[in-house]
Amino acid sequence: MNETTELNYAEFVLPPSVISKVDVSRLVTEVERVDNEFTTIAARDKAGASQQATPVLSAMMEDFLTQNNLVLNDDKIRPALIKQMRLMKDRVPIIHMTFAGPTDSESLQQLSRWLRTSVHQQAVISVGLQPALVGGVYLRTSNKVLDLSLRAKLEGQHGLLVKELEALRG
Amino acid sequence: MGLFQNKPQAKQQSTQDQAAAIEQRFMDENFREELRNHGRLYFEKIIEENGVLFRKDLDATVAKVDTELKEHITTQLDYAIANMNAELKEHVTKQLDVQLTEYTRSIKEAQDIAIESLNHSVKTVQEQHQQLGESLERDVTMLSRKVADQEAILTNAFKENADRVLAMKDAQAQTLAWLNKSVQALQEQHEQLAALLQTNLATQEAMLVNTFQENMAQVIEHYLLGALGEQYDMKAQLPAILQQLEANKQEIVDDIKL
Repeated sequence: MNETTELNYAEFVLPPSVISKVDVSRLVTEVERVDNEFTTIAARDKAGASQQATPVLSAMMEDFLTQNNLVLNDDKIRPALIKQMRLMKDRVPIIHMTFAGPTDSESLQQLSRWLRTSVHQQAVISVGLQPALVGGVYLRTSNKVLDLSLRAKLEGQHGLLVKELEALRG
Repeated sequence: MGLFQNKPQAKQQSTQDQAAAIEQRFMDENFREELRNHGRLYFEKIIEENGVLFRKDLDATVAKVDTELKEHITTQLDYAIANMNAELKEHVTKQLDVQLTEYTRSIKEAQDIAIESLNHSVKTVQEQHQQLGESLERDVTMLSRKVADQEAILTNAFKENADRVLAMKDAQAQTLAWLNKSVQALQEQHEQLAALLQTNLATQEAMLVNTFQENMAQVIEHYLLGALGEQYDMKAQLPAILQQLEANKQEIVDDIKL
């Protein structure tokens, strides 16, 4: 059985360090770059040029390769991998999350870990900032919106607050 | 003596024994008791028959004695009553005559005393009547004079008071009219003021409430933003966000699967 046929983007596991679709694009770009570098090295080898060091990989790429048991120095696998990764980039489910304040990578990694274990193993986050939310998260998928923000809760409790104020007023 | 020397004796002895035995056999205790019962019954029968005869004789004798006794008592009583009536009549007549004589004398004496007393009383009453008449005449004269004086004084006082009362009534009527006018004017002013005040109050209250209700959400939002904005960082929110995501997980999964 050919190894190229064994690769399927749907089975790729994204590491927690890959948070957004931009990160997935970076992975694809990096794989393409590495493939180019390996092609260059091979051409130079054929021409008898001086030896060149193997391409340097980012930590994110290292994580991805480790989690999926992949290696990039195999010339037969790389084209298929690039193809599958491009497919994955186009098809990963994007979940838009808008927060009230700035986010940190650790929190985003925790969120992406939860998404991949609970929702979809390749789900990525598109982060937004909206201070008016006060707190919580405003979540949007392709067909649905979930307003889990503090503002929505306050609006939901508006009637109750008015009622209580009226009661206080007598 | 032969062999049967004692034989007849034995036979005689035997006969007596037999008779005794028979007697003993017939005259035993039961037979005797039966005989006693028989005798007792016969005796009771004789006693009962004699008792009946004796009762009849006794009844007849008692009836006869009763009749004779009644006749005798009646005769004796009639005689005694006749004697007693005669004696009683004589005694009562005597006593009544004595008493009547005594009563008549006493009544005459009492009548004399009463007549004398009445005559004396009449005299006294006549004297008193005369004295009273004279005194009454004097009193009536004085009273008439005093009444005339008092009448004149009262008439004058009444006229003066009537004039004063009339003047006071006029003054009261004027004052009352003025007071009524003032009260009415005050009431109207009060009502106008109350209506105006209530209208203003309701308008202001409604305006304040509307403004407050309209801006309340914004006020609270700004307040919360100011209060929590800097302290409510992502790490602090993360457990709550994850909890909410977990609560809505199924909705997200369903949408991703579409």
